[in-house]
Amino acid sequence: MNRRFYLALRDLHLYLGLFFAPFVAAFSVSVFFLVHAWLPGADAEADAPRVVAGLTMPAGVETLPARERVEALQRMLAEAGIGGEIGFVRYDVKAGRLAMPVIMPGREKEVVIELAARTATVRERETGVWDALVFLHKAPGPHLVDIRKNWWPMQAWHWLADGTSYLVCFISLSGIYLWVALKAERRVGLALLGAGAATFAGVVYAVVH
Amino acid sequence: MPSSTRRGLIDATETWNRRLHYYSGLYLLFFLWLFAFTGLLLNHPKWSFAEFWTNRQQSRYELPIAAPAATGDVAQAEEILRQAGIRGEIEWTKARADEGVLEFRASRPGHIYEICADLRGGRATVQRIELNAWGVTRILHTFTGVRLNDERNARDWWATRLWAFAMDAVAAGLIFMVLSSVWLWWSQKRKRAAGLAALLAGTALCGLFVMGLRWLV
Repeated sequence: MNRRFYLALRDLHLYLGLFFAPFVAAFSVSVFFLVHAWLPGADAEADAPRVVAGLTMPAGVETLPARERVEALQRMLAEAGIGGEIGFVRYDVKAGRLAMPVIMPGREKEVVIELAARTATVRERETGVWDALVFLHKAPGPHLVDIRKNWWPMQAWHWLADGTSYLVCFISLSGIYLWVALKAERRVGLALLGAGAATFAGVVYAVVH
Repeated sequence: MPSSTRRGLIDATETWNRRLHYYSGLYLLFFLWLFAFTGLLLNHPKWSFAEFWTNRQQSRYELPIAAPAATGDVAQAEEILRQAGIRGEIEWTKARADEGVLEFRASRPGHIYEICADLRGGRATVQRIELNAWGVTRILHTFTGVRLNDERNARDWWATRLWAFAMDAVAAGLIFMVLSSVWLWWSQKRKRAAGLAALLAGTALCGLFVMGLRWLV
């Protein structure tokens, strides 16, 4: 075993692990909320609605294709000081109204835009730190592929979420290399690796078949 | 306590912390790989190699059923599943409007059954959807049987409970590994400064997303 490589890998395992430790902890803690469908503070009341007037309405925003529309709305709402990831946009043709959720970790807004009046009615709700963890755990996720990541922090979070997955792979592979170097621990480690593989195969088999 | 005994106790605890750190990592290895890999699949739904929904196999069939003796939606659905030889987590997709009809979904990773049972007529229609290995893998990541803000659906299949327990155990194991890694790092005095920089940078960045964005933006 190359000693220099071993030492460099051990340091990388340690420092990268420490850097990503809060992300791994955040993903892990949110698992309990997702698995048990329980969220403390989930029933927080919304604030009184506020109206933002004088919006710079992009021409024909209601008929733009989905991605262009959320990008146009994103620019418009940013000018009005309403930040967050825009979700599914509902267009009420008769009322001339666009309605959408605008979400950021820990805070949710329901925004209703009156196209003719160029106003937005915003109802805001603090959803709290646990909801923020759950939101981030599921972001960006597989839904609303065409419009997701329309708020730049969510694009950044996408990289970090991916980075956490890649890091778990790197940390586990480098951890195996570091463990193999410890001759005295090989037997117990091998037994646990085998037990873990058997448990994994057994549980997956029970669920799938 | 004499200082030599105290030192011995600390050394033994550190040794066991190190051992438990890689023992738990080795035991959970395959679960970690599954959740890390499926996390990537969920975040990249456009990865064409992992496409599963367009490649699904669908079939539809009818079968005779005996009206369940049990009362209650879940008990009746479980009896119909037994008669049909289907195993899976029961999911209510619509409110029950007619006592003579029971409509529900039963699913397990890779297999989805949409069931419409006509209890008066003694027949059930089953629409079966089979997914490929990518579908199975991806669904394992989210297979909990329950959803936030959905009070009607509860975990009612033993295998879902087992999988949920496995998810909890993996999460608890990861939290333990994070905490034990902090201790492992702290016990190496020469690496404290660099480690602190890495940990603080990670905490600040993660904290920015979890708590900071709503105050900054």
